[in-house]
Amino acid sequence: MKQLSPPKWADKFLRWYCNPDLLEEIEGDIYEIFEREAAVDTQKARRRFIWNVLRFFRWANIKRTNSNYKASQMGLIKNYFTIGFRNLSKNWGISLINILGLSVAIGMGIAIFIFVDMQTHMDDFHSNRRNIYQLINHVKTENSTAMWADAPLLIGPDLVDKHAGVDNVVRVEFQYGNMRFGDNVFSELVSFVDPALLKVFDFPIKYGDVNALENKSYVVIDKNTAEKYFGREDAMGKDVSIKYSNGVIQNYTVGAVMDKTPDKASFSFEIMVPMDNFFDLQLEDHYDWAYSTDAIFIEMKEGRQPQELEETFRGFVALQNQTSSKWPIDKFEMVPLEKLALRSFEIDGSISGSGHPAGRIGLSVVASMLVLLACFNYMNISVTAATRRLKEIAMRKVIGGNRRQIIYQFILENMILCTFALGLGTVLSYYFFLPGLNTMIPITIPFEFSSLPMLIAFFGGLLLFIGLVSGAYPAFYVSKFQPTSIFRGNEKLGSKNVFSKILLGFQFFFAISTIIACFVFTDNAIYQAEKDWGYNPKGIISMPLVEASDFQALRDAANRNTAVLSYAGSNYHVARANKLTKADVLDKEVKTYAFHVGENYMETMGFRLKEGRFFGDSKAADQSGSIIVTEMFVEKAGWDDAIGQQVTYDSTRYTVVGVVENFMCNAFYDEMLPTVFTAAPEEDFNYFVVKTAAGNEKELDEYFASAWTGIAPNDPYNSKYQVDVFDYFFKENQGNIVVISFISGLAIVLACLGLFGLLGFSIQSRKKEFGIRKVLGADATQIIRIASKQYFWTILIAFLLGAPAGAFLITQMINAIYPDPKETTALPFILAMGIVLVTTAVTVASQVTKATSVNPVQTLRSE
Amino acid sequence: MVTMKGSYLGELEELILLTVGALFDEAYGVAVMDEIEKQTGRSMNVSAAHAVLRRLEEKGYVTSRMGGATNERGGRRKRYFTLTAVGKKALDESFAFRNELYKRIPKMAFNFSL
Repeated sequence: MKQLSPPKWADKFLRWYCNPDLLEEIEGDIYEIFEREAAVDTQKARRRFIWNVLRFFRWANIKRTNSNYKASQMGLIKNYFTIGFRNLSKNWGISLINILGLSVAIGMGIAIFIFVDMQTHMDDFHSNRRNIYQLINHVKTENSTAMWADAPLLIGPDLVDKHAGVDNVVRVEFQYGNMRFGDNVFSELVSFVDPALLKVFDFPIKYGDVNALENKSYVVIDKNTAEKYFGREDAMGKDVSIKYSNGVIQNYTVGAVMDKTPDKASFSFEIMVPMDNFFDLQLEDHYDWAYSTDAIFIEMKEGRQPQELEETFRGFVALQNQTSSKWPIDKFEMVPLEKLALRSFEIDGSISGSGHPAGRIGLSVVASMLVLLACFNYMNISVTAATRRLKEIAMRKVIGGNRRQIIYQFILENMILCTFALGLGTVLSYYFFLPGLNTMIPITIPFEFSSLPMLIAFFGGLLLFIGLVSGAYPAFYVSKFQPTSIFRGNEKLGSKNVFSKILLGFQFFFAISTIIACFVFTDNAIYQAEKDWGYNPKGIISMPLVEASDFQALRDAANRNTAVLSYAGSNYHVARANKLTKADVLDKEVKTYAFHVGENYMETMGFRLKEGRFFGDSKAADQSGSIIVTEMFVEKAGWDDAIGQQVTYDSTRYTVVGVVENFMCNAFYDEMLPTVFTAAPEEDFNYFVVKTAAGNEKELDEYFASAWTGIAPNDPYNSKYQVDVFDYFFKENQGNIVVISFISGLAIVLACLGLFGLLGFSIQSRKKEFGIRKVLGADATQIIRIASKQYFWTILIAFLLGAPAGAFLITQMINAIYPDPKETTALPFILAMGIVLVTTAVTVASQVTKATSVNPVQTLRSE
Repeated sequence: MVTMKGSYLGELEELILLTVGALFDEAYGVAVMDEIEKQTGRSMNVSAAHAVLRRLEEKGYVTSRMGGATNERGGRRKRYFTLTAVGKKALDESFAFRNELYKRIPKMAFNFSL
């Protein structure tokens, strides 16, 4: 009789997927149907059987987890945790410094990641950003083309009528103006904008609405400006006036107040007035294709591409080239708003302020290095720690553990530690590193990520990376040993591990090179800060003039005050307003700064005369043809005797009457240049300079501030102490020192932690050896030598390689930044060496005492 | 009506619940499927019967037990389902509800077709 059987594979499939608890009844029912139908039609029965098996393949019937298997697995994992925690608490000191080192590096990494993440996601709060482009010009210059943010003013909102794909056009024109409300007068950057700006961009508005700029007499100001002028009062509806550079005063009403600018804004506008007012101002005779405004934004309609405008743009290029022969445009490029901040460094005059990518890349590299260093450190200690657990591993293997389970165990333990470190690192970065970073850069970085997936990817990736990198090696390394050789005592590891020495060497290499770099950099920074300026800036205050009559008024005020030692007027002012120009000497052209000064200016500033004289009383004669030059000018001109030489500058011939010592005109990033002074008449003055005894500056400043309100109520009083003119430079220098010291400090601490851990383990495992040595008569110095010589060569080699590497890199950097770097001396090297030696010695000593204090009786007693 | 959450009785559920009640001690997957096909003429897959039966059991309307070894179906046991008190009550309420509505249909409606 023919055996009636269902298709075997279908039955197998059913058994494979079906929950064992349900298998009997389901299989039974399917078989029952099969048997019943097979009596009639075998083929049909078989088909039906397959169909039924497939129909039962549903979620409720599918075997999910094997409950028995799960229970045992859970037990194992629980056991891993227990052992992991026991190990942590057994070596709690080393675990703690391990976690600490790792978390500091992670914290740094997080802060820098957030910084870079924010920098690469600027301006993403504008909801239409995908359709907004800035029109960038490629302009032909003498030998290359440059990218300009400035674009022809005539490409205005009527482009919307010319091309169907364009939704809005917004032009931005910057002009300086003195804004006044009552007694509050400040010099401001005023933005003339097309009214659509508030609709195109999503800058938050506090009071008023997006239509505010439709009204020509309205001004829109931001929150800070509102507070500056109106304090706590409601700014809306207040009347203000703005005086522009051509003397025209326009009156406006505050029509809207912007809310706090989002941190991610790479550009924003403090004071906005409708574009029409700009044309009313008549700053230029005519606005044709040659006039470029500061920025043009084009918003495309949804789904329209910027390439559609190419034809239209070609027409504009032709028009512009006809009118402006000086700066002919090559082509236009539509730069998407999303890319604007990233590309702003290559666009001249970009309104989107964002740093050069070099800073971001440098920071990322340093952060990755630190995290990697911490990983090495951690890895080194884990390997050494793991080699002390060989018996445990052998035991596990003997009672049936396979290699994979041992790898899991080690990686899990690492993950526990890394999770701790990650948590601690996040806290450190939130409370410490990110606020620290914020104090050093002009923008504020909030502790947030650009998106949730980014956050998950970053933290998940970091945990996985650190956990695996630091855990994988020890896990794979120690898990491969055979139990027999471990029990027999053949596997002696850790003490002579080349790999761990390389890692340690690398850590010390990094630490030593950064420390050397730090000291050389700081040494140079101190040198720059203490450098003689070439004159005495103490007690000098300068203030810009607006009207020609301001000078007489200030002179009268100065004459009334006995604290004033001397005063002078000038056209341009040293360090505050330098005029860069060229002067001709015979056949040579000398690049030089030029200042046109009034009577007493040279004396007031305290320039040191080397030869000849300052401008005398014979003003009329001096104004027509005398010039004073610096020593450097003499050098560049190649004169032996400077007095009486001829200089042609600004198509006037001058005769040199005096030579002064070189002095600092510019911050120390820029090369020192020659400087010339000519005499100027009062009506040319745009600065008033006054000198008082050091210490009286504040009092005198207040005196002139109150005098100024009577003299020029429409213009701001904008004084500056001469000692503060390079403040920005010193602040930046200070910031750099803090960053570099912090990084090098961290590197040496991490390296010493690594050494500390390694030595600790090695001494502990050699206690018996030290015990025997002591019994046989070794003294403390011998023991110290034996215990510490193991890593002596590693550190020495690291030092020999690291010191020149660090010195080379930092000198390159310093030479690139400062035109006048300090000669590298031995002092920073000696200091750095001293620090490394002391920290290393302290680390070694703290461990080696364990070796010397070994009591042979105790270590040798137990076996 | 039983108004517990998730206690709503679907049409197929009600039909199968009734069948389980009617088959009394002989209600298992294939039997339920056959009975429904016989009574209503609608064919259903045995897996659907299983799914509904398990759902009814989760809701507490039926209970189940494994039967003894059998001669057919390769000796595999059957899972028998029986109506519970709650299940009976749900059927009663459903029936009463339908009956109530039925009674409220005006006599006119019946006469209409005449």
